[in-house]
Amino acid sequence: MEPLSSYLVLSSALLGIGIYGLVSKRNAIRLLFSVELIVNGANINFVAFARYSSPPILSGWNIVFYSVAAAAMEATVGLALILVAFRLNGTIDVRRLNRLRG
Amino acid sequence: MPDVAFVALSVLIIGSAIFALEAKELIYGAVGLAFSLIGVAGLFILLGAEYVAMFQVSVYVGAVVVLILFTIMLVRRESGRIVEEEEPGRLGRMGAFVAGLVALAVAGAMILLVPVSPEAPELHRVLLRDIGVSLASSYSVALVILGLLIGATVIGGLTLAKIDREKRTDGTAQ
Amino acid sequence: MPALPTLQEIVSLAVRIITSRTFLEIVFFPGLLNVTLSAALLTWLERKVIARVQLRIGPLYAGIWGILQPIADGVKLMFKEMIFPELADAKLLMLCALSLMLLAIAPVVAIPFGEGLVIADMDIGLIYVFAALSLFPSVILLIGWGSNSKYSFLGGLRSLFQQVSYEIPMWLSVLGIVMLTGTLNLSEIVKAQQNVWFVVPQAVGFAVFFTAGLAELERIPFDLPEAETELVMGWMTELSGIAFMLGFLAMYTKLYLMSALITALFLGGWLGPSILPGPVWFLLKTFLVCTVMIVIRGAFPRVRVDLLLKAGWTRLLLLAIANIFVTVVLILLGLGWVWRV
Repeated sequence: MEPLSSYLVLSSALLGIGIYGLVSKRNAIRLLFSVELIVNGANINFVAFARYSSPPILSGWNIVFYSVAAAAMEATVGLALILVAFRLNGTIDVRRLNRLRG
Repeated sequence: MPDVAFVALSVLIIGSAIFALEAKELIYGAVGLAFSLIGVAGLFILLGAEYVAMFQVSVYVGAVVVLILFTIMLVRRESGRIVEEEEPGRLGRMGAFVAGLVALAVAGAMILLVPVSPEAPELHRVLLRDIGVSLASSYSVALVILGLLIGATVIGGLTLAKIDREKRTDGTAQ
Repeated sequence: MPALPTLQEIVSLAVRIITSRTFLEIVFFPGLLNVTLSAALLTWLERKVIARVQLRIGPLYAGIWGILQPIADGVKLMFKEMIFPELADAKLLMLCALSLMLLAIAPVVAIPFGEGLVIADMDIGLIYVFAALSLFPSVILLIGWGSNSKYSFLGGLRSLFQQVSYEIPMWLSVLGIVMLTGTLNLSEIVKAQQNVWFVVPQAVGFAVFFTAGLAELERIPFDLPEAETELVMGWMTELSGIAFMLGFLAMYTKLYLMSALITALFLGGWLGPSILPGPVWFLLKTFLVCTVMIVIRGAFPRVRVDLLLKAGWTRLLLLAIANIFVTVVLILLGLGWVWRV
């Protein structure tokens, strides 16, 4: 049985990879990938803590249900925004999408 | 003896995540993200959270990844691939440095400060009934809010992504 | 560092695994051998039944009644050259065809083919099967897009829209069964039908699930992704050779397992008079459902795409919700004890 710290290291690694993606990538869709990775890291954290505490906390599961649903919602709206940005500007490079236009 | 399943799943998750960010083609990146999410679902099963794992597979991999793939296919120029220039090496290195620092700090803080025993307690079956009861009683408000949020998201997404086809006679598009 | 296992330990471990019940179940019945043989048999059955519906005879020359036709087809496809268009992503197409076959076989571990004859008796069996089914649209979309052809892409898009639209009525229509039995475990659901099969109180749910299942399988009348007069073969157009065989077999494997799921959920699974053993009843009922689906293919015209999507989102959804109301009325009338395990 794996100690809890392994799961925590894994979720921190996902957090790190997500932050790396957010900082250094230009493509808006890759930024979305990074955000999804960070959220997944947090979800692993919730479930790991829910499992490893005694008595096992089952509200960890409920929180992950809502987290997954809310992340799906956020991905939907984010992708719609990316579509609109592409239609108006012809690019989804976030370094060029830095002007507000009417 | 480290748990083989855990090691294999971790390699899948981290490897696919890095591949998702570094692949040249965006579609391959989306496939890498899908594999990473399936690995996370496997990890949930390892942690005894089966319902959450199935939920993750059907919502994340079944719906969100499809959305991402679909959007990638729509934001292509007529000539073909998206023109994505190489990010400056300096920004990539700085990004990796910051990310590593943050991850190390977070991991260290969690492991050192949280007083949880490292050994896993007994795994007992969670009945579907308990989950349903808790969703309907303790988490009912959250469920209703989630429903409203889903409705708002769908309406908002559709409104944003709608292509104006009809123009009114006075020339304004609605 | 722990000592590496000796050769004798490895051999004894391998022998223990191979003779274990789970391994035998996975490889023979109800696992891989059962699924692949049944999928091949279904290709033959489809051609024969459609032929009879259309006043023809169907495959005739390969063995008695043409029963060896699937083997002939398989051998031919394996020897054919795999031609992919130059700008199409051959690696992606191969990977997706392979994963299509794996995804199609995946539900078999949860479906009980007899009393205790299930590979993995999961408490989440039902949503496991649904989760496996929900992974198909993304793979099909990738195949359609990776073929680098407008018509294949259109076929992939149509398949995606169709399957996603009909997932929701499918999920909702089994909600009545889950309410009556209180479990997602497919073995428990079969056992709960000892008195009355679920097709009786959940007739509306059965109709919705059957229709949504036909749409998920992309069978006529929901045949649009494969509209033969319009899109050649839809998203499977650019697959050839082994890739095509994998995709084609995946569709029939999915047909077989969807019929098995319908049998387990609505038609009482392996329950039946004891003149025949349980698994035989299960196979009989499954093949009956398959035959009905095949006859429907011969009997109905194709549904137009906008009517198809409208039917999925509005009419089937409302019927599934009506089914839930019927179930609630049943429970309030105090009839819930009939299906209590």
